[in-house]
Amino acid sequence: MTSELLQQVRAIDPASGADRTADVWIENGTVRAIEPTFATADGELPAGTIIRDVRGCVLAPGLTDLYSHSGEPGDDSVETLASLQAAAAAGGFTRVAILPDTDPCLDRPEVIATVRDRAEGGATRLLIWGALTSSRGGDRLSEMTELAAAGVVGLSDGAPIEDLLLLRRQLEYAQPLGLPLAIWPYSTRLTGGGTAREGVDSLRFGLVGDPAMSETALLAAAIECVAELGVPVHFMRVSTARGVELIDRAKQQGLDITASTAWTHLLLSTRGLRRYDPNFRLAPPLGTPRDRDALIDAVQSGTIDAIAIDHRPIAYEDKTVAFAEAPPGTIGLELALPLLWQEFVEPGRWSPLELWRALSLSPARCLGHEPPRLQAEAPAELVLFEPNRTWTVSPETLKSRSCNTPWLGRQIAGRVVQTYRHGL
Amino acid sequence: MATTEWNRRHILSLEDFTAAEYDIILQTAASFREVLTRRTRKVPTLQGRLITNMFFEPSTRTRSSFELAAKRLSADVLNFAPGTSSLTKGETILDTAKTYLAMGTDMMVVRHQQSGVPQTIAWELDRLGAQVGVLNAGDGLHAHPSQALLDLFTIAQHFDPDAPRTALLAGKKIAIVGDIVHSRVARSNLWSLTACGADVHLAAPPTLVSKPFADAFASESGSLSVHWQLEPALENADIVMTLRLQKERMSSNLLPSLREYHQQFGITRDRLALCQPHARIMHPGPVNRGVELSSEVMDDARISLVQTQVTSGVAVRMALLYLMGGGKSVA
Repeated sequence: MTSELLQQVRAIDPASGADRTADVWIENGTVRAIEPTFATADGELPAGTIIRDVRGCVLAPGLTDLYSHSGEPGDDSVETLASLQAAAAAGGFTRVAILPDTDPCLDRPEVIATVRDRAEGGATRLLIWGALTSSRGGDRLSEMTELAAAGVVGLSDGAPIEDLLLLRRQLEYAQPLGLPLAIWPYSTRLTGGGTAREGVDSLRFGLVGDPAMSETALLAAAIECVAELGVPVHFMRVSTARGVELIDRAKQQGLDITASTAWTHLLLSTRGLRRYDPNFRLAPPLGTPRDRDALIDAVQSGTIDAIAIDHRPIAYEDKTVAFAEAPPGTIGLELALPLLWQEFVEPGRWSPLELWRALSLSPARCLGHEPPRLQAEAPAELVLFEPNRTWTVSPETLKSRSCNTPWLGRQIAGRVVQTYRHGL
Repeated sequence: MATTEWNRRHILSLEDFTAAEYDIILQTAASFREVLTRRTRKVPTLQGRLITNMFFEPSTRTRSSFELAAKRLSADVLNFAPGTSSLTKGETILDTAKTYLAMGTDMMVVRHQQSGVPQTIAWELDRLGAQVGVLNAGDGLHAHPSQALLDLFTIAQHFDPDAPRTALLAGKKIAIVGDIVHSRVARSNLWSLTACGADVHLAAPPTLVSKPFADAFASESGSLSVHWQLEPALENADIVMTLRLQKERMSSNLLPSLREYHQQFGITRDRLALCQPHARIMHPGPVNRGVELSSEVMDDARISLVQTQVTSGVAVRMALLYLMGGGKSVA
């Protein structure tokens, strides 16, 4: 039996649009009441109820990460499933979905079962994307029906599928499964070996430019597939202003698509490449300032439904190389909420509800899941977040086994105090 | 004429160099040019100092030039070459830099095939509190400051051999012709030439120079324009800088053939007629004869400054090592 009263917390529920200061009573993993002030004296609360004054904190539904990368199975040294789940919980995520790029890759039911068993009892609910192609090889269909039966959250390679006929076959074949399909529209061939989004910064800093069309040409083609087949698709890692336009137009035409961008692309742009920090080497690359502005607006308007973390742990010695030679990716599960809050909510560019919609409500819906709620009688799948608490990003403070982030060593504001994960 | 003191520990890019700093370099280089004509072509300025040439990307010409410059200043020189190093065994570039730091290196001259590596090393050394200067000897497509500075010196002394100075470049029309998009030399030259007030014209096929170059390197003091034909760039030019064209450009379909390139953009005696009568030709070397330049132009000492560039290189690199080494007045 547990009973807890959180007094004068900023209670946010994006599904209902509620954002108010209230007392919230949580008993045995269920939200029992949300009141402007809860009378504690008249014996309504059970004996032993813990009463906490959490003024200045935010209580809101747990976050859902659409896609991240685990080291385990294959490379426990950079991240185990347990450390990934712990990092997710520390960052406010009650659900995290991993991409199939492990070793062995997640393309067979027995591997899915093993991973699921190992993640049992972890700090966060682990969801699994099954591979769309066999061995993630990008040339043959995976055994999708078996993967669906094994309980994958959806199907995705997490890698570009550049063969448009194969893409069409995947969308066709997957129709009866009713699972989300996540496609990364990106042509590695059109990048021309580029490592920085093409523009004045790539020219100035002497980095080979990756043109926006490496994303938009494939996105436009994939949208045509959706238009022809009527199959719902989620577009991952949208990173360009033109990509946002294409998504917006397709949605206006009524196509059944959703889209996400990576949190890093909302905070950073090619401007930051001046320091050649290998932690800024991402795939797709960071956008130009114009791309970044378009993404920020698109998240606010809902054209881009969700912010994904795309957490990718990489060993120090692999990342401590020249920018262009670094493997792309950065960690983010523990950093995204505080940094996005400080960048967008604190100055008033986004409301807290808009941020929570993009990190909790919409990603859950993109997966076809019932989103967690902060409302009376709902299961307590919640995060208690203190926006003003400062901490220093270091190997000691991070739960992740890797520290490949540009924020390493920096003091940042915003820390998750607690996650409630009833029923997960 | 030089009113400011030199206060840079590193030379990584020319992006934020001021005209006053260029003047200090030109003046200092002119003094060393004089040293190099003496019977004993050596000064004791950097005696006891250790300079490490860290050439991750192989180079003979630039490394020789730096080595000679260091030796003329009486410094001790170590040469690091990746072929003989442990870089393949999981050692990072920062580990390598720290190894040479521990040996007592005072200055590192760094070249790498990827943009940004000299910067990364310099910032890491600063973070460690090391008092070591890093000189970028060419990183990827990004920068090659010492080449651009020797080009600047070559141009300035061409206009006034006795007193090379930045003011001589104001309003001069300088054409840069060739594979600009892949050239760190061109990028560094754009910063220095426009900062000195030159009127810079880029010419190449669209696959080798894009219009956004004009925005990327825009400057308040000089002007910069991009052309996809050679003629408007050459018209009344005072200086024509050509760039080396790599053979790989054909395999990635940036050009159909060297033949067509030479027809459209090769510098020949006929085409030079468009320039000012006193116009001079430059090239950072090595030249593909018959591609960027016709042999006839290249070998004509009345037109070509290519050999002068090489000679200037040693004096300018001596000046840079001297200034980075804390030198205040010339020996």
